[in-house]
Amino acid sequence: MSLLAAACCLLFPRYAYSYIDPGTGSYVFQILVAAFVAISFAVKVFWHRIKGFFQKLLAKKGQ
Amino acid sequence: MTAAREAHSASFRDPSGFLFWHEGQLYRQVNRSYQENYDQLLASGLYRELQAEGQLIAHEECDPRLARGDEAYKVLRPALIPFVSYPYEWCFSQLQDAALLTLAIQRKALEHGMSLKDASAYNIQFAGGRPILIDTLSFEKYPEGRPWVAYRQFCQHFLAPLALMACRDVRLNQLSCLHVDGVPLDLASCLLPPRTRFRFSLLSHIHLHARSQKRYEDKPVRTKQRPMGRFALMALLNSLENAVKKLHWQPRGSEWAEYYDRTNYSDEAFAAKKKLVDDALQILQPRSVMDIGANTGVFSRLASQRRIPTVAVDIDAAAVEKNYRQCRREGDAFLLPLVGDITNPSPGIGWENRERTPLLERGQADVVLALALVHHLAISNNLPLGRIADFFSRFCRGLVMEFIPKSDSQVRLLLATREDVFPGYHVEGFEREFQRCFTIERREAVARSERILYVMRSKVRAGC
Repeated sequence: MSLLAAACCLLFPRYAYSYIDPGTGSYVFQILVAAFVAISFAVKVFWHRIKGFFQKLLAKKGQ
Repeated sequence: MTAAREAHSASFRDPSGFLFWHEGQLYRQVNRSYQENYDQLLASGLYRELQAEGQLIAHEECDPRLARGDEAYKVLRPALIPFVSYPYEWCFSQLQDAALLTLAIQRKALEHGMSLKDASAYNIQFAGGRPILIDTLSFEKYPEGRPWVAYRQFCQHFLAPLALMACRDVRLNQLSCLHVDGVPLDLASCLLPPRTRFRFSLLSHIHLHARSQKRYEDKPVRTKQRPMGRFALMALLNSLENAVKKLHWQPRGSEWAEYYDRTNYSDEAFAAKKKLVDDALQILQPRSVMDIGANTGVFSRLASQRRIPTVAVDIDAAAVEKNYRQCRREGDAFLLPLVGDITNPSPGIGWENRERTPLLERGQADVVLALALVHHLAISNNLPLGRIADFFSRFCRGLVMEFIPKSDSQVRLLLATREDVFPGYHVEGFEREFQRCFTIERREAVARSERILYVMRSKVRAGC
């Protein structure tokens, strides 16, 4: 019984203590979709830097 | 402290604390288990910042002896919401604004090292014409690397109903009334049109999300200690915000949204009616007003412009949408437009049918405006005039009601394709039934129409 309880603790880490159930499928999916949207978000957030980098690169080539 | 403290019927799920009534005042108990989070909410400056933006309900700390049990850390007295409303009574833009507020608060919370632990639409209310978060205990310390525990709830309470309203039918907001924890995503996924699968935000947050829920419904998963960084969480919030913002719904083409464009009122008669209603408000001096069958709120505004808290209820989502947009544009802080059907008002739902209270039990109206309504109740819905009078006499202290005779073109339209089984529907019959339970203070013919406007006081609620 105690082994079963320990297994449950390993399988469901501390996040299970939230008072609302995040749902296993939602939990897993959130991590996947967040990783995906993080790429476009990174482009958006760092757009000025990316743009600046290429502008500098093109300027050097032009010289 | 021996006086009775009555627990709030909707406040029992969160062990962090609860609401209770004491001597007519609402209090919130904060339990010791929430102490650390409550202290951080205040110490981090998050509470102050949200207050400054009018995004979180204000509260003051009170005498801790008011607490119930020995678990209490603090007792708060939150500001009261003039009229509690629920997401299935909101128009599209109200639900959208509530969703965007939830995301904005979550973003601010993260900046202060905290996170929303729930994203329930019921935690948002409308006060002063704007959405506001009413649950002070919704915040918890954000452990770096943890996903948003309220992601599923946000999708079910906000994104799914908004997508259904925008992409399928605006009336599908009523699904929230059937499902107290939001619209199940598998249901939303099968109801949404196939074209929504070509929109990344809906494909991911609803369709694939629903499939993931199904796939893992009976599978335990092993998660890493830090599975999702803060940047990924911000990206997720950004994605949800874009998903919500890209949903649009235009209030066009409904029977009622263009009612005033098609009505047989002349400008003169319309102005005369407004003057009569305004005079009626002057006579009755309401503390609050409920305008039933309010349409786009033209007459409700006569009350809200007098700074009287006014609820404008209409069955038509397009009319309510127009009303809300006008309120938002004009910054009307006293008018709350809601979608509702007085012949089938929102019921009590949730645990014991008491978690979300019925519309008619959320505070009686001091004065009711029932303009161009009685013919719909009596003729379209076969409600006997006596029953209509009985209901209003219990529900309000003062009543401004317009009687529309059978000779009126709108009533002729209602009777055009049905048998007239309403022999008692005439001015004498109306007055006989209403005088049983109301004192008629004033009766005035509306100029250039056959309608009569009555100003009445309830005999049942005379002492209120």
